[in-house]
Amino acid sequence: MTRYLLRRAVWTALVVWAVLTLAFIVNNVVPSDPARMVAGAQARPRDVDRVREQLGLSQPIAVQYGRFMRRLVHFSTARRGDASGPHGACATLGWLHLDFGKSYQRRRPVVDIIGERLPRTVMLALAAMLVQVVVGVGLGMLAAAKRGSLIDHASVGASLLGVSAPTFLLGLLLQFVLAHKLRLLPLDGYGSTAAEHLACVVLPALTLGVAGAAYYTRLVRDELISVMKLDHVRTAIAKGMSPARVWFRHALRNALVPLITVLGLDLGALVGGAIVTETLFRWPGIGALSVSALLDRDGPVILATVVVTSTAIVLSNVLVDASYALLDPRVKR
Amino acid sequence: MRSIRRLSGLTFFLLSGCNEPLSAPIPTAHPELDAPVRGGVLHLATTFDLKSLDPATSASALDAELLEMIYAGLVDFDASGKIFADLSENYSISGDARTYAFRLRRGVLMHDGEELTASDVKRSIERALHPETPSPFASFYDRIEGFQDYTEKKSEHLAGVRSTGRYDVEIRLREPDATFLAALAMPSLRPVCKSAGERFDDAWSPCGAGPFKLAPGGWQPSRSVSLVRHEGYFRTNEPYLDGVVYTLGMNAVTQRFKLEAGEIDVFRELTQLDTTRFSADPKWREFGFRETARNLLGEGMNVEMPPFDNVEVRRAVAAAIDRDELRRLRGTNLVIQTRVLPGVLGRDPGFVGQRFDRAAALEHMRLAGWPFDPATGTGGWPTPITYVVTQSGLSEFTAQVIQQQLAKIGLRIELKLVSFPTYLALTQRRHSVAISNQGWNQDFPDPADFFEPLFSTSAINEESSNNTSFYSNDRLDALLARGRRAADPRERQRLYDDADRIVVDDAPWALTLSYPLYVVHQPYLRRYRDHAVYGNFIGGTWLDRGATAVAKRAGVLGSVLGGLR
Repeated sequence: MTRYLLRRAVWTALVVWAVLTLAFIVNNVVPSDPARMVAGAQARPRDVDRVREQLGLSQPIAVQYGRFMRRLVHFSTARRGDASGPHGACATLGWLHLDFGKSYQRRRPVVDIIGERLPRTVMLALAAMLVQVVVGVGLGMLAAAKRGSLIDHASVGASLLGVSAPTFLLGLLLQFVLAHKLRLLPLDGYGSTAAEHLACVVLPALTLGVAGAAYYTRLVRDELISVMKLDHVRTAIAKGMSPARVWFRHALRNALVPLITVLGLDLGALVGGAIVTETLFRWPGIGALSVSALLDRDGPVILATVVVTSTAIVLSNVLVDASYALLDPRVKR
Repeated sequence: MRSIRRLSGLTFFLLSGCNEPLSAPIPTAHPELDAPVRGGVLHLATTFDLKSLDPATSASALDAELLEMIYAGLVDFDASGKIFADLSENYSISGDARTYAFRLRRGVLMHDGEELTASDVKRSIERALHPETPSPFASFYDRIEGFQDYTEKKSEHLAGVRSTGRYDVEIRLREPDATFLAALAMPSLRPVCKSAGERFDDAWSPCGAGPFKLAPGGWQPSRSVSLVRHEGYFRTNEPYLDGVVYTLGMNAVTQRFKLEAGEIDVFRELTQLDTTRFSADPKWREFGFRETARNLLGEGMNVEMPPFDNVEVRRAVAAAIDRDELRRLRGTNLVIQTRVLPGVLGRDPGFVGQRFDRAAALEHMRLAGWPFDPATGTGGWPTPITYVVTQSGLSEFTAQVIQQQLAKIGLRIELKLVSFPTYLALTQRRHSVAISNQGWNQDFPDPADFFEPLFSTSAINEESSNNTSFYSNDRLDALLARGRRAADPRERQRLYDDADRIVVDDAPWALTLSYPLYVVHQPYLRRYRDHAVYGNFIGGTWLDRGATAVAKRAGVLGSVLGGLR
C-alpha cells in the first residue's frame, strides 16, 4: 500500500507539473498583455511599460518560467516575514516553502488568496455533494424499488430535466423563488458568521447539486435494477432475507461502485471551482477567482488555480481507487 | 396528464413572476425636510471588483469612485466638471502659466489625526510618481519640472514640487499645460497619511483626508468595502452619511432584487430590460436619471492597412453607419457625430460632424475606386475585412448591425470575437487589425484627453498604442500642441473646434455613440446627483429612510442557525 501511495504521489506531482507548464505556455502564447490589464485599457504606453517593469514581465518567457518554477517549491530556513521580504509571498511548512508570487491585480501573495478561497470552495463542494448524494441516491433507490410506477417515471423525468437545465438558469430560478419571492434565503454572498455562511451556501449548493443529483438518480436506478437481477441477490431473496437487508447489504453496496467513481471525479471538479455558480451567487471561492484571473490575465493567480484544480482532480482519483478496495474485496487482491 | 398540467402551471407561474411589476419604491420619511440630516449607512453595489485603494496605483472607474470618498485633493471637480479648490484654500497660476502655487487650508486633519501640511503634499506626489511605483497615470504629470530626472532615478526628489512654507506648495512645470489642473484634480496625486511612507508599498492601509475612511478590516477583497465617516473632515457638517458599504461583484439581476428590497439604495448597472422597465415605470421614473456622457464609441479604422489607408473608404464608412439604428440597441445610448462630448470644452454646437448618408457613402466608395451597385450587389472592396470586437453584449450587437450596414456599400465584414485582453493586445498592435470597435472613457473632462491619446502622432506605438488608428496628421499635431499650451479658454475652444473638423473629415474613427448609464435610486436617498466625472458621487447625499426596516431575510434558516457564530 505504501509503495502504491508513493507511486501515485509521484504521478500526481508529474501530472500537476505538466498541467502547470501547459497553462504557463498557453497563458503566455495567447495575445494579451498582463501589464496593460493592470494599468488599464487607456493607460499611456510609458505607464504600461513602467507597470511591466514592476511586475517583472519584461524578461523573456523562458526566464520567467525558470524563475517561477524555482520559486514555486523551495526549501529555506527563513521565516515568511513581511510581505515585501524575499519570502513574503510564501506559504511555509517547516523548511518547505510554496510560492506562487504576488497577484498582479490584487498585489497580495497568491498563497494568501488561495488560502482564503479554498476552504469556501471546499465547503460549497461538500454541500453540493451532500445534495447530490442524498437526493440522487434516495430518488434512484425509490425509482428502482418502484420500477414502472408513477414515482419511477416522475424520478426519471425530473432527472432528465435536472441534467438538461443550464446551471445559470437553474441558479437564477432558485434565487428568484427562494430568495427574492419567498425571502427564505440570502440572495447571494458569503456572510460573516457561521450561521450566515450556512444560510448563504444553500442556494449555490442546491444549484450545483440538482444537476448532479439528477445524474446520480439515473445511475443508481439503473445500477440497482441490474444488480437486483444478479444471482447472489436472487439467492438472498430466496433464502428469505429481509428486503431492507437485501437492498442495503447486497444490492446497494454493489451499485455504489460506479457511483463512487463519478462522485470522486465530481468532487475533484467541484473543488476546482464551480465557475458559473460561484460567480452568480457571489460565492468567493476558487471558481470566481479563476474567472476574474483569466479575464485580467493575472498569471500567478491563474497558475495557482490550475494547481489547485489539477491537484484536486488527481487526488480525488487516488481516493476513488482507494475506496474501491473498501467496497470490493476483489480489488484489494 | 395531471402532473404535466401542474408542471406547466408552475412554469407559467415562475416565468410570469420573472416579469412581475416592479415593487414600489420606499418613500422618503420626511418629504417636508429640505435641510440634510446626518445618519445612516449608504449601500451601493457593483458587478466589478476593486483593484486598489491607493491613489498612486488605482486604474479603474470604480477605484476612482472610492478614492473620491477616501481622499481629498488640492483641487477637485464639482458636479458640473469645473475645478474648485478643495484642500487648498486658494491657488494661483503665474503669468508664464508654469507655476502653480497652492495655499493649504489650515487645520485639515488626515484620517490618522495628523494635520495636513505642505510636506505631506510633496511626499505624496513624489511617492506616486516614483519610478518604482506602478502608477498607471504617472505620464499625465510628465510636464512637472524634473520629472524625467526623478523617474530615471537621477535625482532623489522631484525638483518641480516644493513646499515653500508649512501650508504652501508650489508646482512648477517645464512648459505651460492647460490640462495640468484637471490632471491634478484626478485622484492619483492626492495626499496620503505619513503611514504611506515615501515609497509605494502593497501592504499600506488606505488613509487620506477625504470625507470617509476605511473601517477597520473594511476591505474584504472581492466582497465588500466598508467606509465610515471621517469625523475630522475639514468640511465640518459633511459628510451626512455615517458610512458607506460597497458590495463588489454583484450581478445586475441580484442588484435589481436588492434595490427593490431596499437592501441597496442605488442601482447603476441596469440591464437593457431593467433600463426600459425602470425608466417607463411611473413609480420609479422620478428617481432615475441618465448620467453625464463620459465615453465615446466608434469604429476605429487603421489608416496604415487597406482599404482604410484610403481616406475615401473611411469617409464612406463614416457616412454608411446609421447611428439611429445603433442607438436603439440600448435605451440610454446617445448618437455622437463629433469628437468632443457634450459639455466638454471644444464642442461647437453648430458643427454637424459625421452623419448617416448612404448616397454619399456610395459616392465615397466610387471616389476610392471601389464603386458598389446596391441593386445588383456587385462591386465594392473585393475581399472580406476582419473586424475585431470583444465578446460583450453591446459591442457584439453593435458589430452585427455595422456588418449589415457596411455590406450595403460594398464592404464585407467578418466578425472576430475575442476576449477583452486579446482585443486590447491585437488592436493596440501596429499593422494588426484593419477595423475594430473602439471606445474611450474620459480621464478628465477636457478635449485634450480625447484628441491626444487617440489621434496624435506621439500616441502611436508599435505595441500598447492608444492611437489604434495609427493616424498621423501634422496640422492636427500642431493644433493639439497649441491647445495644450493655450491659457485662454476661447483660444482653446477655437483650436479644438479646428481639430474636431480635421478628425471628423479624415475619419480615422467613424463616430457612433456614447452610452451613459441610467441610474435609479430609492426615494429616501436625498440629493443623490449626477456628476460630470465620478459615478456614485455622494457629496451632499443624505438618507431619510425613517423607520422602514429592510424586510427580514433567511427567516427559516436564520432562526435555526441563528445561535451559530
